[in-house]
Amino acid sequence: MRGVIGVFPHLDSLVEAIDELKHQKVGDFTVYSPTPRHEIEHAVHAPTSVVRRFTLIGGVLGCTFGYWIAIWSSKYWPLVVGGKAVASWVPYTIFGFEVMVLVGSLSTVAGLLANARVPRLSTVVGYDPRFSGGDYGIYIETPPDRLRVAEDLLRRHGAVEVRGER
Amino acid sequence: MATIAPPRVARVDGEEPPRRPNIATANVQLPAVRDYEQVDREIIGTLRPTLGWFALLGTAILCLLIGISAWMYQIHEGLGVAGYNPPVMWGVYIITFVFWVGIGHAGTLISAILYLFRAGFRTTIYRCAEAMTVFAVMTAALFPILHLGRPWKFFWLIPYPNWRLIWPQFKSPLVWDVFAILTYFTVSSTFLYIGLIPDIATLRDRERNPVRKTIFSILSLGWRNTDREWRHFVRAYLFLAAFSTPLVLSVHSVVSFDFAMALTPGWHTTIFPPYFVAGAIFSGIGMVFTIIIPIRKFFGLKHYVTLNHLDAASKLCLFTSLVVGCAYMTEWFIAWYSGNKFEQDFFANRIWGQWWWSSAILYTCNMVMPLSLFSQKLRRNPAWLFFLSIFINIGMWFERFVIVVPSLSHEFEPWQWSGYIPTWVDYAILLGSFGWFFMWFLLFIKQLPVVAIAEVKEIVPPKMRVAHPHADAIDVSGRHVDYEPDTPGEHE
Repeated sequence: MRGVIGVFPHLDSLVEAIDELKHQKVGDFTVYSPTPRHEIEHAVHAPTSVVRRFTLIGGVLGCTFGYWIAIWSSKYWPLVVGGKAVASWVPYTIFGFEVMVLVGSLSTVAGLLANARVPRLSTVVGYDPRFSGGDYGIYIETPPDRLRVAEDLLRRHGAVEVRGER
Repeated sequence: MATIAPPRVARVDGEEPPRRPNIATANVQLPAVRDYEQVDREIIGTLRPTLGWFALLGTAILCLLIGISAWMYQIHEGLGVAGYNPPVMWGVYIITFVFWVGIGHAGTLISAILYLFRAGFRTTIYRCAEAMTVFAVMTAALFPILHLGRPWKFFWLIPYPNWRLIWPQFKSPLVWDVFAILTYFTVSSTFLYIGLIPDIATLRDRERNPVRKTIFSILSLGWRNTDREWRHFVRAYLFLAAFSTPLVLSVHSVVSFDFAMALTPGWHTTIFPPYFVAGAIFSGIGMVFTIIIPIRKFFGLKHYVTLNHLDAASKLCLFTSLVVGCAYMTEWFIAWYSGNKFEQDFFANRIWGQWWWSSAILYTCNMVMPLSLFSQKLRRNPAWLFFLSIFINIGMWFERFVIVVPSLSHEFEPWQWSGYIPTWVDYAILLGSFGWFFMWFLLFIKQLPVVAIAEVKEIVPPKMRVAHPHADAIDVSGRHVDYEPDTPGEHE
């Protein structure tokens, strides 16, 4: 599969190009922007991020582990004080909470990395350093026979540079 | 995330909308910042080392070396050189520990809580505050180790079951502390790093030095600013902020339990958790001012960290000062109202007796001086804010002094009553802690952007083929904003 990349200086022209790309179904595309923008999010209309599931599962597991480690350690190495429970849930809530936050946060990061597909070893194909500066971009992956259509579409919508990528 | 929305039509029957007074809104735009290229140019431009920076770094390292020398001396001679005398067996080290943990609170407050509340003024100051948090917690973490007679056995502090007969006591506030602070450090560092990834990618794309480019490439994880990356990034950042918010409240509550779980007069009180949290946020905002005001001046970032931002942050400072003041007065009231003789005598000693001077410093710096922030003129005066922030830092250090020393030196039995005089070792290690903190901070601000590039771009109007008619005069919510440069006409 080959690709074509277009560089856009203007946000509105980028959004128009995305709309037409979706309409014409030229191929799979990736949009680049120096900062997250609602306009792009609405135009791409991607499904909601699933990072939240990682957060929920991590938080629940962390909370369980926090309580468990405190209770298990207290039972296994008991410090017995007359009239007091060996394991007491009230102070152990601190461990449940802290470990929930710790594991929940780290699993959120894991969810980000897994879903955003980073770390990435190379940024060479389908990327231009201008996309982290002031310009926007679209990279279209398309069969060779549709390349010309993709290039025309990008130029028509105001791309200042269009080039093929392999 | 930000979007340029069409301006709200506030006029009725063709009338002009009424002029609002010059009050900073929660959403503040940067009218002197025109485009993304300017953001990159000006913020990346701050990374060039200067002579002044080298001088400051040298001073910080010198202070650190003084602290290390004192510590070496203490290891050789024993903890007795640190000015501990029964019954005051907690002194400058625990005071400074709590002081630095407190400083670490404003960072996460500004980056996480204000993010959830969509307070726009955080955008240009949060990176500084987050870095401050991480380095402050790193500084605080030194003090449990400095407390040890044999610091090379520091790992015995970690509460894990072992064969040395040191069983974990999960009901001890000191063990809660270990969990709370390690979690806070890990989550704060993660939050800082995740926010930095897009900015490191920007640095990677502009770096020409191959070594630095390679380092930035590794640190940026191959970030490419794709729609997929942003979609998950925004969501993950939101959840991290949501996790960090209760964490801010919990960590200093747990630190306060170190005191509140004891029966010592002045410590055994249920007001400690909210009192400590408010104090921590107050001291952290003080330190943010101490750091950000010189940065905006010497890095040429006055049009990023505007007077509106300082104004809004000052209101937060004033609010937390009032909360802290209310907590002080509640303490006095409860001491009187409880009818507990020990508590009443202890408070009399704290305010009018042996320790009156430390209480006077505390109340002047934390309750009286911040009242000046009721004046909008002073809230928008960076020189005054910097001056005030130094006194807030001093006041908050003395707050911990007043909590620790008077309580220990004036417990139940009169024959136990004593005094406390810190030695040169205490002062040298205190100085060393500031050297350690500022060394890391100064290294940070010349390696990584001190203002979040990607987030600032969110509040800068994007380039449009069909220009938005009010793009240069509206904020992110579509309202007109007033902008007042430090010097009139400075950024026109």
